Amino acid sequence: MSQINYRTINIDALDPESSTNFPMESLLPATLPQPASASDAANAATQVRQMLRGGDPEGALRTVLDTAPLGGDDRAKEVHLATVIDVLQGIRQGEMTRILEGVCSGDGGAERADCLMKYLYKGMSSATPSSGAPTPKNVVSPQNTGFSQIQARNLAEGGGGGQQMSVLLSWHERLVEIAGTGSIVRVMTDRRTV
Amino acid sequence: MSQSLRPYLQAVRSSLTAALTISNFASQTSERHNCPEIEANSSPEILLNPLHISRNENEKVKIEPSYNSVRISIRIKQADEIEHILVHKFTRFLTQRAESFFILRRKPVEGYDISFLITNFHTEKMLTHKLIDFVIEFMEEVDKEISEMKLFLNARARFVAESFLTPFD
Repeated sequence: MSQINYRTINIDALDPESSTNFPMESLLPATLPQPASASDAANAATQVRQMLRGGDPEGALRTVLDTAPLGGDDRAKEVHLATVIDVLQGIRQGEMTRILEGVCSGDGGAERADCLMKYLYKGMSSATPSSGAPTPKNVVSPQNTGFSQIQARNLAEGGGGGQQMSVLLSWHERLVEIAGTGSIVRVMTDRRTV
Repeated sequence: MSQSLRPYLQAVRSSLTAALTISNFASQTSERHNCPEIEANSSPEILLNPLHISRNENEKVKIEPSYNSVRISIRIKQADEIEHILVHKFTRFLTQRAESFFILRRKPVEGYDISFLITNFHTEKMLTHKLIDFVIEFMEEVDKEISEMKLFLNARARFVAESFLTPFD
């Protein structure tokens, strides 16, 4: 006992009844679909891309949201997220509102809206430095600080996945107009993450 | 306002409107205590899914909601090292005076420059939509402020360098 300072032990963590050890699985509904694997997600992705290429963006968005791997592993979710973002980027700005109204209406429209909202937030959380934009530290040397204003503009507008983010942001704006703030609340409270 | 800033702020506004639906919630672990659950972290059940909104990788907002409190962390745009220093000084100035800002958190969350902590007591005392307006206005103003400071700093540095080098002319 002299070795451990017993005052620093968090006794709540040792108590199975304490709220710290709340069983999170009990918050998931029993009707969760079967866990999907990465290969299932990849299959869905090829199907959706075909629809997108075939000139049916509304059907593609509908399918990709219906096949969301709510119970899948992380890998499957990543693959599916990439598919959703591809579909969203493949739809032109002018068509967004029309397609969203189509997708969010009909049977299970509200679920699809919530699912899309989840993907929008997830897409924005995984800010990928994919475009290979160099970090500001490497760009700016102490000598050219007088000119750094110009570089700053370029960095802010073009690099760093800014293009993808602005697509997601405009989708977010349209979706809030259609589905309302309640959809965001459901993203926060729903434990079935995408 | 620039074209891509408007949807960004709009997204933050609607997310905050959704996240700030908070109510009084007493501590589950200690009797007669009432603390912001997002900070106490006493149970995973009470923390909700965090929301991320980003305009690009240098400008993002993280909203961490829970039953009785919401933590909002903002990453301010820093395009180069001067802006990095200015942002650091500016946020430090504010956080040292956190007492008089009520909702300001004394320490920013890792990876972000400044954090706000809004509890149910704040939303009861103040108007929720005004709180949201404050956060949005802060985000608008801080970019302007930083670039203004940078321009001023450059002008001043040029003037200092000129007058310093005059004797060697």
